[in-house]
Amino acid sequence: MPSDRALIQALAELKTNPEQSDAVVQTGHCVVLAGPGSGKTKTLTTAMARVLVQDVVDPRGVACITYNNECAIELETRLARLGVTRGDRAFIGTVHGFALSQVIGPYARCVSEGLPLNFGVATRLEARAAVEVAYRNAIAGADDPHRRWEFATEKRRHDVDRTRPEWRGRNPELATFIEAYEAELRRQGLVDFDDMPLLAYRMIKENVWIRDALRARFPVLFVDEYQDLGHALHELVLLLCFEGGIRLFAVGDADQSIYAFAGANPELLESLTRRPEVRTIRLRFNYRSGGKIIRASLGALGEDRDYRGVDGAPEGDLSFWHVPYGHDSQAQAVAETIIPKLVAQGFELAQIAVLYRAAWLGDKVAASLKNANIPFVRTDTNALVRRSSRLARFIEDCARWTTGGWRNADPSYARLLSQAITLVYGRHASDREEQDLSAQLMAFLNAAIGSTETTHAWLQRFSRELITPWRQVARNSEQEWDICGEMIANTDPTRDLDFPLAHFAGRIEGSGRVNLSTLHSAKGREFDAVIMYGVNASDIPSERDKRSPGSLREARRLFYVGVTRPKKHLSLVYQEHHHSPWVVELYQRSQQD
Amino acid sequence: MRLSNLSISNFRNFQSINIPLAGNVVLLGQNRVGKSNLLFAIQLILDPTLPDSARQLKLTDFWDGGPADYSAPIEVHLELSDFATDMALTALLTDFRAPHDPTIAQLSFVFRKKSDITGAPQSSADCEFLVFGGGEETRSLPSRVRRRIAIDLLDALRDAEGQLGNWRSSPLRPLLEDAVSGISRTDIDAVAAELDKATKTLETFPTIKTLEDELRAGIVHLSGKAHDIDARLRFGPTDPLRVFRAIAMFIDNGKRGIADASLGSANVALLALKLAEFSWRRKKNERNFSLLCIEEPEAHLHPQLQRSVFKKLLGSVDASQAMIVTSHSPTLAAVAPLRSIVQLKNQGGATQALSLANLPVTPDEIDDLENYLNATRAELLFARGVIFIEGDAEEALLPIFASSLGHSLDELGITVCNVGGVNFRPYVKLAEALKLPYCVITDWDPLDGSKPPLGRKRTIDLWQDMLTVRGQPLLTPPQLAKWEAMDHSAFSLDAAKAHVFLNDQTFEVSVANTPSLLQPLLDILSGQDFGSVRTARIAAWRAGAAVDPAQLLAMIANIGKGRLGARLAKKAAGLKPPTYIESAIAAVVASVAHA
Repeated sequence: MPSDRALIQALAELKTNPEQSDAVVQTGHCVVLAGPGSGKTKTLTTAMARVLVQDVVDPRGVACITYNNECAIELETRLARLGVTRGDRAFIGTVHGFALSQVIGPYARCVSEGLPLNFGVATRLEARAAVEVAYRNAIAGADDPHRRWEFATEKRRHDVDRTRPEWRGRNPELATFIEAYEAELRRQGLVDFDDMPLLAYRMIKENVWIRDALRARFPVLFVDEYQDLGHALHELVLLLCFEGGIRLFAVGDADQSIYAFAGANPELLESLTRRPEVRTIRLRFNYRSGGKIIRASLGALGEDRDYRGVDGAPEGDLSFWHVPYGHDSQAQAVAETIIPKLVAQGFELAQIAVLYRAAWLGDKVAASLKNANIPFVRTDTNALVRRSSRLARFIEDCARWTTGGWRNADPSYARLLSQAITLVYGRHASDREEQDLSAQLMAFLNAAIGSTETTHAWLQRFSRELITPWRQVARNSEQEWDICGEMIANTDPTRDLDFPLAHFAGRIEGSGRVNLSTLHSAKGREFDAVIMYGVNASDIPSERDKRSPGSLREARRLFYVGVTRPKKHLSLVYQEHHHSPWVVELYQRSQQD
Repeated sequence: MRLSNLSISNFRNFQSINIPLAGNVVLLGQNRVGKSNLLFAIQLILDPTLPDSARQLKLTDFWDGGPADYSAPIEVHLELSDFATDMALTALLTDFRAPHDPTIAQLSFVFRKKSDITGAPQSSADCEFLVFGGGEETRSLPSRVRRRIAIDLLDALRDAEGQLGNWRSSPLRPLLEDAVSGISRTDIDAVAAELDKATKTLETFPTIKTLEDELRAGIVHLSGKAHDIDARLRFGPTDPLRVFRAIAMFIDNGKRGIADASLGSANVALLALKLAEFSWRRKKNERNFSLLCIEEPEAHLHPQLQRSVFKKLLGSVDASQAMIVTSHSPTLAAVAPLRSIVQLKNQGGATQALSLANLPVTPDEIDDLENYLNATRAELLFARGVIFIEGDAEEALLPIFASSLGHSLDELGITVCNVGGVNFRPYVKLAEALKLPYCVITDWDPLDGSKPPLGRKRTIDLWQDMLTVRGQPLLTPPQLAKWEAMDHSAFSLDAAKAHVFLNDQTFEVSVANTPSLLQPLLDILSGQDFGSVRTARIAAWRAGAAVDPAQLLAMIANIGKGRLGARLAKKAAGLKPPTYIESAIAAVVASVAHA
């Protein structure tokens, strides 16, 4: 399916970088350690296209597992340019999606895992209720069940293989708690998100034929953002690749591991590089940032790396903004001073990002920008479009199609339809189901072409004409239909939140919108100019970060992720005499050669 | 990979059949019993060239005996197994594993009333079809599975020359195109130039030139100048890109075209080309598995060719290809591997399928049965009933005895099967599996009385075999003890219920003990020029003395049992047989009439 011509061109483009070229032609286990801006995604997608053309013969294919749906969508878009489309020969998705669609879905009914045929995914409320029932049944203590469950969750994500002695050997009462919780979910025919990789792991471990079936379909497994994927994925990789004969191509950067709260552990990636059968390749060139920003980022990280910029690239510049007061006045400075100054220097709004630690800080920046009449788009948990939701991204794509995309097939209708089919039916849909779905979708999309519907009205119609019928027939066990309801609420005209559909679709006049993002959501993205907001001594690291050396390291990596986003300009905003200690190290390192 | 099971319900001739398969299939059955319908059922699932309009069946495709409101759906389920060693096939089929056994992939076709139609459907439009796998309707079968596990129907054996002669449909085409692509352009140009030269030479001959001119003038006269098609007489197209299309197969050292070959030879060439095309498609990775269906090749192949071609084709085991041959030719059936045989029979308005794929027999027993079927041209497979006997004497006498009782075995379609000894077990299992009415005529063999009679164990073994094939529980130790304890007369009464008919000694002794047969037997013995002692004994027996079995058998040994049988047959016309044989014949005749 990938075209030879696109591949040959992609391979040629890597010629100037010996490490990238080396990585994409590997035919054994390979781990690529890729620093910020090192062309990680390009290397991964080129390797994947090359394997599909040269190493793996139709009908076999490859699987690519990545951290979240946002990364998956990004990979899909990049792969589409190389002629690789998601489908039977290429799985691209999260570890949960992999577990669900490639292991549990097809094989659970062949093995005795106690799952009913039409199991569902527990909602947050259902999961909370199950925690309470399990706590009563298994522990019956006086604590808050949910506080205890946090510890249980950590154990559940860490001790993937329950046949090992640690499962009962360490914190046995948590093991009992977890088992009672899972039993309660199963009683209701439910699984939760953490269940998915665990169930898949158990099924693969206990049934050699499932391992063989996965190897038949996917002789090569690609893993993106390895440092962010937790123990469950790591154990799956050990089982499939080092016992099951599947070839591994993993990409990651331990310095950018910032998902400890979700079970990530940078040590897992490092442990792969110590295996003798694994070829480790380090990408050293940073194509993104100017030399000064690269040096500053190493100060931010507090460790040395041999990263280097590309010869002839501009140095980039740093600005330090000390503001007399707290968050509000810092937000005001961003809106009234820093952004206008960047615009004056020639930066486009769409190429400026304001980064912060948490969504509530984003609210402050958003308020200031609104006052200053600067258009912006948020990509944090308070965003209108959740970037990691496939449904939300699909809704956004539909808006793009309706507001002009239909003219030049950007996005193409075929892509919209295939997204819709996946959302509603998962992997398999009959011809008739496809036709019915297409008829509904086309009728809905067409009706809005040239209309003056606002985003709110359009979303309501989306909900009525598409979500309502699709909910009835949906077979995808990973459902998120409520997202549309949230979006409708977040565009409520009575709260003055509604705006034109073209605006929602990102089609606006001028130089675009400033990006507002948490540090976590900014991962993997890049901007010409980045404003780090709230780099205060009490914010990063916070008191909570300082409680353990591990969490302190994690906070510092988070800071590093933010600092490595800009290409040309980095601004740091903090309260006067109250800056983060890392700002000093960053400054000092940036001044060295 | 192999086909391991096929089940069809409510479709055309089939109410409900479930056929275990063992790779290649030889589908035997009378005309109109549904052989082609069975192939079509598989096409509904696998044929990549079948359009959706053909999968949208008609109401007339429902089995006639089904509910009048068509509430019972048409279903076809095909099971494939042993694909785990082939990674490409595993990748294609892994989503469609059967819930009860993950080593099997199940592919299905269902045609049924749409759920929103109330009452009986009025036409096909009120029905819908689904093609899916893994026993779950929602797992629809993608077309790539059909493209890569494809079925090919060779009904075209009827028109081998036509197929070979037509460039588009010829299996030679992809092979030639592939071969030609390996020739450099310069070389092709050279050939084209040679051809052009030969053609020019041809045109220099005045008679040819005249003919061409006349034809051209005729065409122009009809079509007018504007539509002149510039017709020429050529050996072949001289355009280098088309030149190889003129390549054809020739026989007899290039003297004659394939169209001049006998019908049979052209068919063999077509088959060989088809198989070459399959392996080429696999090599090109267009396909991973081919299922080749050949309908009634006997109509277009000489018996000798049938034997040699199908012995090779059906006997070879190829993990990437399987074959289904439909036939009513005993010649073909005789060379079919036993386990490949599936027999279709009409019973009470619906077609039953009987498969030998899972016949519980050992490899040695299979050899026995295959040799027997081969030697007898598979007569057993086409019989309506069978009488199993031990040896040549019975073989010679049975038809005579039957006709004495007023039955013609030939006309009834009852065959006499001489197992050449006492190992009836594989044959009985075969008859049971084919649901063929049968009986076993065998000796009680009491020996000298110091050991249990051999006939008892032989009968019990057959009984157990019968139960095994029928899938019924075996005889329990208490039941066995009961049979062990019975004397001959009680035992033989019950044995007859299990189709085993016993005498109390041996066949020859029974003949001697049958009043009507004693005289002819003694006549034959008398003709042997025995010495005085034996002559005296024969005279005593003739006078009414009881025949001594040991002495009788000693005399018969001198003649040979077979020859005795043959001679007795000449004299026995119209004479009643021993009682146990009479009962056996009556039992088989009755069940054949009943079936």
